[in-house]
Amino acid sequence: MENIGTEILHYYDHFVVPFTVGVIVLFTVVIYKYVRWFVKLPGADKHLVRKGLFTRSTLGACVEVVSESLLHRKIFKVNPKLGYMHMSLAFGWFLLIAVGWVEASMHLTGIVPLHAHVFYKFFADPNADYGVSGQVLANVMDLLLLFVLSGVSLAWFKRMRSRAMGMKRATKHTAGDRIALFALWFIFPVRLLAESATSGLKGMESFLTGNIGHWMVSVFGVYNIEQFSGVMWWTYSVLLAVFFVSMPFSRYMHIFTEIPLIFLRRYRLRSTERHKTYDHFQIEACSRCGICIDPCQLQADAGITNVQSVYFLRDRRYHKLSGAVAENCFMCGRCETKCPVGIELNTLRLNSRTKMFDVPADGRYAYVRGMDTSKGEGKVGFFAGCMTLLNPKTLRAMEAIFKAAGEDVWWADKDGGVCCGRPLKLAGEVSAAAKMMEFNKSLFEKHNITTLVTSCPICLRVFREEYDLKGIEILHHSQYILRLMEQGRLSMEESDGRLFTYHDPCELGRGSGIYDEPRAVINAVGRLAEVSQNREEAFCCGSGLANISIDDRGQNKISAALADRFAETGAEEVVTACPLCKKAIARNTPLPVADIAEIVSARLGGRQQA
Amino acid sequence: MDFGFSINRPRAVDLDKNDLSVSRKALMEMPEWQACIGCGGCTATCTAGNLTQFNFRKVHTLVRRGDYQGAYEEMNKCMLCGKCRLVCPRGINTRGVVMMIKRLLSEY
Repeated sequence: MENIGTEILHYYDHFVVPFTVGVIVLFTVVIYKYVRWFVKLPGADKHLVRKGLFTRSTLGACVEVVSESLLHRKIFKVNPKLGYMHMSLAFGWFLLIAVGWVEASMHLTGIVPLHAHVFYKFFADPNADYGVSGQVLANVMDLLLLFVLSGVSLAWFKRMRSRAMGMKRATKHTAGDRIALFALWFIFPVRLLAESATSGLKGMESFLTGNIGHWMVSVFGVYNIEQFSGVMWWTYSVLLAVFFVSMPFSRYMHIFTEIPLIFLRRYRLRSTERHKTYDHFQIEACSRCGICIDPCQLQADAGITNVQSVYFLRDRRYHKLSGAVAENCFMCGRCETKCPVGIELNTLRLNSRTKMFDVPADGRYAYVRGMDTSKGEGKVGFFAGCMTLLNPKTLRAMEAIFKAAGEDVWWADKDGGVCCGRPLKLAGEVSAAAKMMEFNKSLFEKHNITTLVTSCPICLRVFREEYDLKGIEILHHSQYILRLMEQGRLSMEESDGRLFTYHDPCELGRGSGIYDEPRAVINAVGRLAEVSQNREEAFCCGSGLANISIDDRGQNKISAALADRFAETGAEEVVTACPLCKKAIARNTPLPVADIAEIVSARLGGRQQA
Repeated sequence: MDFGFSINRPRAVDLDKNDLSVSRKALMEMPEWQACIGCGGCTATCTAGNLTQFNFRKVHTLVRRGDYQGAYEEMNKCMLCGKCRLVCPRGINTRGVVMMIKRLLSEY
């Protein structure tokens, strides 16, 4: 026993205490959190993990951990400089630890405690000759330190000029984050000084720390550098301790949390409309990089700067989430497509709302029981949805198209029906929304339809995701119209070559993955000029139903910002496939705005149009 | 005799007797609500109002006047579809009004 004690003390100096305490606190808190979250996962989720553990999902997760947690491939896609900054810090630090471990294991003798690996240069024996491998390792470590330092200097630069790094706006950080960030900024420069001073004093050779060290000793003298090196090693250890202790409570928790998140996601765990502990893995995997801020139109156009996903997740994590922040979002999904960690931002926002606003819905909507205002006998059902009923032109166009195709239609709600339930669900009242969904579902089943067409992407999405309509094919009207065209059931006039531009509705594009069908329909009746940012990057019209708190002025600003984008294309007419987008765009765009059904019905052969 | 429609019973709102605290709080939170001209466009287009006696204009007008009785239950008939917001000539966030009335009056 005594032997082991002296061996450990062989590699001991008081300055290692802060570091060691930091490491113990860090891993205690991190492991406590992960175990707690995992244990509290619902049984179904645990089953998914057990099922996926020995499959290719695990292998895929390992690859993803390397490419995302270390190399940050997705951030490279946003901006190469930003990607390099994150990669040099993450991958560089990882290599410093890994190579440093190898170096210390090879050169230090006896039992080597953790801190001796980290503070290797301090404990290295200056008289030992480690040969070529020793020189190579020392220079590799210097190179890696330089690599990390290049990332740190980019990080400093980013704080001063985020625009140059591809971000118009950087995140506003909390005090705790700033302390951790401050520590992180200085860890590596101080390490450089500490290692250089020791190298100079011990006469160890390497291209960076060795040379700087020799220069320092020759200029300031041995005595000064000895004093200085003591201070620097202490500073280095304290900075590491500050960083490690603040890590589990700050944004730097993401460094570890992204790893279990990647595995759990590969095992097909998903957040739902109700909170579960899997959400914590997502929330604490947010690095608050702020990439979600720039795509947000509330920030860019309406000047609302406290509701973006980064702030929403932060507030939720620290239990400071207000209803106003949770509600003020269109859930358009632009940030979600850009998130380098792949966090389900919309779902998390939704289940925050559920937690705040869902109330038992016993007896609600009792007045719709047994009601049936539908008309027709066809096997193809058409659900206009509330918003299409406010756009009679679209409804008439669909009537004309159905007539031209000779389709026998069951009109679900032409004379007024029950809302699809999605607006209420998005507001967080999921129990009440379920009542409406039950009603509509039984209505569809009662009329034995085989196809359900809707001209509203909001309804489409909820039909697809929530209704569980067995044996009923659910189509957006753009898909249905395209199918009629392909089957030759619509006799169209010759294309008049009119130049259209198309607005991707959020719920149809990002929400349901339908991008090509509306474009094919437009190309069949005219020509299409794309706006500069379309498909996954398309803008929200500013009327999204998920935002319950934005005022009219804010909505108007967002819709007005779209007008120029349409004008740029030189198009004669704007086409969209959502009744709500249509209304919002028409408010500010001088060009005529039409639903996709209208441009088709206007060109039906034999003048059948409405 | 059934005329196919009915008229509301006459009623008086006594602003001196009514407790206007909730109404004032609501108007503070959502000042745009004061811009309401009571045109009834919201009620005319209302999805729920088309199916039952629910009358949004009546409910929110009474709430503004400090008459909260039954407003929460009435408001729960709303489906939050948002048509009223699109037709409102004053650009009031009517869905926000619905949610706020429900939150402020859940105990009345």
